[in-house]
Amino acid sequence: MVNYIIRRLLLLPLVIFGVTIMIFGLMQLLSPYQLVSTYIRSPEELRNQDLDALVKKYHLDDPFYIRYGRWLNNLAHGNLGWSESANMTVNEAIASRFPATLELVLFAVIPVVFGGILLGSFCAVHHNDPYDHAARIFAIVGWSLPDFVFGLIVLMFFYGVLGWFPPGRLSTWADQIVMSKAFIRYTGMNTVDAILNGNWAVFWDAIRHLIAPTITLAYLWWAFIMRITRSSMLDVFNKDYVTTARAKGLPESVVIKKHVRRNALIPVATVAGLMVLGLLGGVVIIESVFDYKGIGLLTATAAQQLDYPTVLGTTMFYGMLLVIINLVVDILYAFIDPRVRLE
Amino acid sequence: MWKKLVRNPVSLLGLILVIFFIFVALAAPWLAPPRYPDEPYRIPRYGWSSTPRPPSPEHPFGLTQGQYDIYYGIVWGTRTAFRVGLIVVGASCLIGIIVGSVSAYYGGRLDEVLMRIVDIFLSFPFLIAAVVLTTILGKGLDKVMIAMVAFGWMGYARLMRGSIMAIKQEEYVLAAKACGVRDFKIILRHILPNSIFPVLIQASMSLGSVVITASSLSFLGVGAPEGYADWGQMISFARNWLLGTAGNPLEYWYTVIYPGLAIVLFVLAWNLIGDAFRDILDPKIRA
Repeated sequence: MVNYIIRRLLLLPLVIFGVTIMIFGLMQLLSPYQLVSTYIRSPEELRNQDLDALVKKYHLDDPFYIRYGRWLNNLAHGNLGWSESANMTVNEAIASRFPATLELVLFAVIPVVFGGILLGSFCAVHHNDPYDHAARIFAIVGWSLPDFVFGLIVLMFFYGVLGWFPPGRLSTWADQIVMSKAFIRYTGMNTVDAILNGNWAVFWDAIRHLIAPTITLAYLWWAFIMRITRSSMLDVFNKDYVTTARAKGLPESVVIKKHVRRNALIPVATVAGLMVLGLLGGVVIIESVFDYKGIGLLTATAAQQLDYPTVLGTTMFYGMLLVIINLVVDILYAFIDPRVRLE
Repeated sequence: MWKKLVRNPVSLLGLILVIFFIFVALAAPWLAPPRYPDEPYRIPRYGWSSTPRPPSPEHPFGLTQGQYDIYYGIVWGTRTAFRVGLIVVGASCLIGIIVGSVSAYYGGRLDEVLMRIVDIFLSFPFLIAAVVLTTILGKGLDKVMIAMVAFGWMGYARLMRGSIMAIKQEEYVLAAKACGVRDFKIILRHILPNSIFPVLIQASMSLGSVVITASSLSFLGVGAPEGYADWGQMISFARNWLLGTAGNPLEYWYTVIYPGLAIVLFVLAWNLIGDAFRDILDPKIRA
């Protein structure tokens, strides 16, 4: 196991190199004048100097390998440029927005994964029953609903008609409490901070704002997980060890829970990485629909205003995040399935 | 295979929906005669007020924000959906097939390099990568298509590579090589025809999701320019009108529901067919 982790860690610099090359490659599509914005640290710099001087100052007319080296150095020092749309530096913007997104994803991931697995195994057990067909139609419809359409309908119904789940992250009164000096920001995640501060009113308000986006994310992803769990369980049902277990006279529920589902979850774990990719992408849309001020909304507004530094910076951030998540998923996968680490 | 598609009620529904959308796309000039014959994709406006107007005999689906005709936008938007879907899927499939077959056929170091490039392209969420590249190229539907192709070919390349790897070992390929047939000809005549089907099926199934992504980008405001017949944009018009008025919270329902229904049915159609394909082709599930 340790060997496997070490081997996997040795690959890490290569992957990070790939991600930075990609972003730098994208940046080369911009002219040096457009690129200046990804280097400056405050808008004053733009006002006081003319563009040619700035291009000179940041050596934007050097050959690309020199610029790549300098750009990497810049990155290592955490300088991603000035974000016009957020009116602060890009790393400040990311740092202030990321906890919100993390909170949303963590809140959504448990119902998504467990709900999907339960639905999938339910379908596999009732293979070709009316239940199975109903669940499959439910899943196909979920898979066909674009997240922004479904999100808007959820918002229209739960906010417009029922008034239960408003958009945004907090109501105005709660926002004032959170912004006040007495409320200590430990993590930037409203629910966690509210618990740590012992303020239950704010906690419930934060939860109320999380439910609608979670419903939207959950329905769309259930379809995906359900489909994989179902086909993987059907696959395992035909295995010899399942026949053996049944022949031993084990009750069907034990066979399903202990022999079938556990082994069927291995392929589900493989797609976890894929799911994280999709969730991160989906967050851009969901946050725009629900006006939830996380990193996805930051990317979306920046893209609309052609704010390159923010778009590139957040993408860099997504890339790095994915590298880490994939690493964790791979290690977990090796942990679940011994065949992987012994290869 | 055709018989199975028609016999299964679920895939039959998908097939009927696809045929319906093809009909709408082809008949667009008759279903919704353009006001500007030179620019049929420009949605006609019936006034300048921003408040939507409900369906009426002249405008069966109503007028959305900015008095754009919803019916017209949906009918011509069908053409946009097909165009974006077919171009993006076709182009990314072609690139994937080329990269995948070169990589698998030559193997060795070239294969290693190409597959690492695939890995790099796969290390970003597709939607975000598409947003970034579209932004860098400057907004617009053509840029959206370029961006989606640039980050959409990798899956096909991997699939093609795997499929060729299996066929490369077959004796007829060896025989052709022994006869001194040129590499290019072997790939084109012997390997491609035998390995291309999984890729083509994958491509036909992804049409729905491509249309979702393209309309998402329009929804985010980096896709089609304002007033262009595009489903995603029609939905972004509806965003400000979700809440209705005090007495009637669903007053502007038609601004979301009609364009939303168009996208959902279009994507559903392709997914229904795709799902049936998967069952037909996967013997494990069939048994």
